[in-house]
Amino acid sequence: MDQDVKDLEHAKSFWYADWSFPIIVGIMSAGVFAGTSMYYNYGVGAFNEVAIVAMLKAGMTGGSYGAAAAFGASFLFARILEGSLVGILDLGGSILTGVGIGIPAILLSMDIEAPVKNFPLALLTGLVIGVLIGGIIYAVRHFTLGQSKATFGADVMMGAGNETGRFLGPLIILSAVTASIPIGIGATAGAAAFYAWKKPIAGGAIIGAMILGFFFPVKL
Amino acid sequence: MHIVVILIESIIIGGLVGFAAGIGAARMFNAPTVQALGAFRTLGEMNAAQGDPASHFSFGLGFFFNAWASTVGAGAFTQDVTHRVIPNWSAAILLIKNKDLAQTMHNPKKMGLMSALIGVIVVTFLNVTSSSIPASLQVTAVKVLVPAATTLINMVMPIIFWLAAIDAGRRSGLFGTVFGGMAALIMGNAVPGVVLGILIGKGVEEIGWTRITRIMLAAVILLFVLSAFFRSFDIQLLKQFGLGVPQWLQSWHRAIGG
Repeated sequence: MDQDVKDLEHAKSFWYADWSFPIIVGIMSAGVFAGTSMYYNYGVGAFNEVAIVAMLKAGMTGGSYGAAAAFGASFLFARILEGSLVGILDLGGSILTGVGIGIPAILLSMDIEAPVKNFPLALLTGLVIGVLIGGIIYAVRHFTLGQSKATFGADVMMGAGNETGRFLGPLIILSAVTASIPIGIGATAGAAAFYAWKKPIAGGAIIGAMILGFFFPVKL
Repeated sequence: MHIVVILIESIIIGGLVGFAAGIGAARMFNAPTVQALGAFRTLGEMNAAQGDPASHFSFGLGFFFNAWASTVGAGAFTQDVTHRVIPNWSAAILLIKNKDLAQTMHNPKKMGLMSALIGVIVVTFLNVTSSSIPASLQVTAVKVLVPAATTLINMVMPIIFWLAAIDAGRRSGLFGTVFGGMAALIMGNAVPGVVLGILIGKGVEEIGWTRITRIMLAAVILLFVLSAFFRSFDIQLLKQFGLGVPQWLQSWHRAIGG
């Protein structure tokens, strides 16, 4: 009986059906794109890793948007292919990096500022892009379903992605050491404390560096 | 004034992102029958803490502190807010009332509504607290995080992905190396190329040269050609090989604005 109810829900309801997928992706993209808009205007709120947001920052502070645009767009492309084939669209690569960083970078590099700067317009832009992405996946899925059982190396990329995160902790300490001696000591102690508490050491290194940097400020 | 705008925008963003993240995560437990939106690591981790509200909560909390530090430092939430904090915290709250996973953590409706609420709280908290921090902290953050992030993107990430491609088999190693080098030249970062190399290499290894893999290869080549054109890579290439740039190519670039 329970199983029957679930089957029915799978086929029809918004919560389980394939047709609602573009709407869900649209809602997510609207929020993430608006988050980037807030980052552009106020310097907070981008839904991504420091390293990836830094690429967008490079463009905002007068450099080139090229890296962010190419990086984000290629990730989006790879993840759309993968998402329709494995049944799970990777949120990080497709929406957070592709829509949140790649597309704003492309728009800004072409001097189209309004969709990023204006908050309601950012919500709308994100929504439209997300519905499009969800629609493409819906179409590809129905077109290729059952034709292919390949993973397209999703496991390899996932493994490498997780491995990358581990490098950030030591890198932050190494860069803190070059900022100043107190900040270096703070980062080292913070990382060690977080490691002892079984927390990611990058967080400890940042907090340690910030505390010492507050008492012994450095100039830019 | 500034802070009120951030507050209002955060509530909207948090609600939207939380709602979608919750539905997407719950749908993962029903994939591949149901198309989901999430990440494999989220699926694995949520299964690892399955059924215990305290584990879900503390797992989310660890990443919440990390996200907070990163938001205060650089304005970046980290991907953990959507991958780990929101889904795990809403699972924890739902599981306090009802221990049946099928009716809580695997139910997109309940997860979606609860995650919308959690999203509003988390996003607003992160944005409001970090937009009011002293300037000396921001300077420290920029001095520490930016160089670390630059090394991570330009050196560490390409190398890790490249080695993963090489270890994953001869085809992905070969495609990864060729596309990686091309991407570093054309796009300024090797990672996208290596990722596409893995995608095509593994695809060909698993299902051979079918229509799908051929279309993918064509699309990737097109992506490279267009990127090269719009970043004026073609002109640089001709100049550095000591060849002249034909007039028609230059006028093309002017016409399209590349």
